[in-house]
Amino acid sequence: MDDLTLASKPDHVSLDLVRDLDPWVEIMAAGADGHARAARFHTEYPPIFWATRLGYFGGCWVPRRAEDLRRILQDPETFTSQGLTGFSQLIGEAWPLIPLEVDPPQHSLYRILLNPLFTPKKVAELGAEMQALASDLILAVVDKGGCDFNAAFATRFPVLIFLKLMGWPLDEAPKFVAWTRTLVKSSDMALVAGVCGEIAGYLRGRIAERRLNPTDDFTSYVLGCEIEGRKLTEDEVLGVCFLIFIGGLDTVTSALGFQFHHLARHPEHQAQLREKPELILAAVEELLRAYSIVNMRRMVTKDVRVGDVLMRKGDHVLISTELADLDPEEFTDPTQVDFERQDNRHMAFSYGPHRCLGSHLARRELAIALQEWLTRVPPFRLRDEQRIEMRASGVFSLENLELQWT
Amino acid sequence: MKIVVDRSRCAGHARCAAAAPELFALDENGYVATNGFDVPPGQEERAARGARACPERIITIVDEQC
Repeated sequence: MDDLTLASKPDHVSLDLVRDLDPWVEIMAAGADGHARAARFHTEYPPIFWATRLGYFGGCWVPRRAEDLRRILQDPETFTSQGLTGFSQLIGEAWPLIPLEVDPPQHSLYRILLNPLFTPKKVAELGAEMQALASDLILAVVDKGGCDFNAAFATRFPVLIFLKLMGWPLDEAPKFVAWTRTLVKSSDMALVAGVCGEIAGYLRGRIAERRLNPTDDFTSYVLGCEIEGRKLTEDEVLGVCFLIFIGGLDTVTSALGFQFHHLARHPEHQAQLREKPELILAAVEELLRAYSIVNMRRMVTKDVRVGDVLMRKGDHVLISTELADLDPEEFTDPTQVDFERQDNRHMAFSYGPHRCLGSHLARRELAIALQEWLTRVPPFRLRDEQRIEMRASGVFSLENLELQWT
Repeated sequence: MKIVVDRSRCAGHARCAAAAPELFALDENGYVATNGFDVPPGQEERAARGARACPERIITIVDEQC
């Protein structure tokens, strides 16, 4: 270990727990097999270790066991999420993403406003509309014998649903696709800051417009909301819209990529679902588990012991959904994809009060995508496995994902 | 057989309801709407499945015969 590493290690972190690596770089180096690489963290590293770097962030604790991550996420008082995406700070502003970057008890005031819009029941009401969007996108490519899956479907499907939900023009989709990719995936901080400013500007424009002309859409709903007897401030409305923006677009796109990549590589699993479509809901859960893609951070608010490790106030902690979901103490044969797995208590949508608000919408989008593809498209495979690249950061993704079916 | 739900810690995953919708009703926020119940005869397997589906581990099965 070189001097630089030692210098960047906080004093209270004992040397045997330091690993001179960036978990995202490790995972990315494995290409499309990044999750298999992540699974090996469980045999190679201590239950909680100190990674010396993480993307453009500094060093942080990396808990790899589901049990420890559950405990951390269920205790937002000790492990705060305030200010940890840093998006508004990048453009010299100070609004939090709401409710993600607000801790309880304040958190629940906002969460209660949004929960009713995203229940399993509410989401089910959108089913027919989502199905129509999916089938239109598929019909546009099915006769071509193949497609760039991200361009033709995975980026467009969730963006169209999002725009419908928000009440914004559907022809804005390409702009949104480009923005979200940079925002969540780029490791160039200046580029991210630029896009952040553009998105905030766009959202402010849309919010101002809906303030003048309210409809029955999401933006109007948020503008009409009250907490503690008052309307939300400009910054609060922006914080909610910004979070819905980053939460709902790129995550579903990326999840679709991994799920279809898996099916393209595993014709036997495609055949199983074509034969037994009633397994699709369970398949979505199992693929969410085996290919979890979201990484977040928390900051320690007071000294705390987790397992054998003492974390100090101010330390950052990586919340890695894929490590929890590939934990062999939690799941039998975690790297095996088994659509009939029992008791699949995965945390692809996190644990605790910040559980993904859009989880039920995401599940339904993924299920509809699988169902529509398997109904309308013959067995598909990868066109060129060698070209596929994995990106690992806040949201993991696969690039150059070309499918072929003739 | 009894089911006990630590409802204040529900995070709204709704996996219990996905496994056994008639036993684990959800409220208008999509969170579990019960603190627990006596499992109707014949429903033990479904109740247990719903309990075991909870990612937060807040649903407990109390087997009175034990």
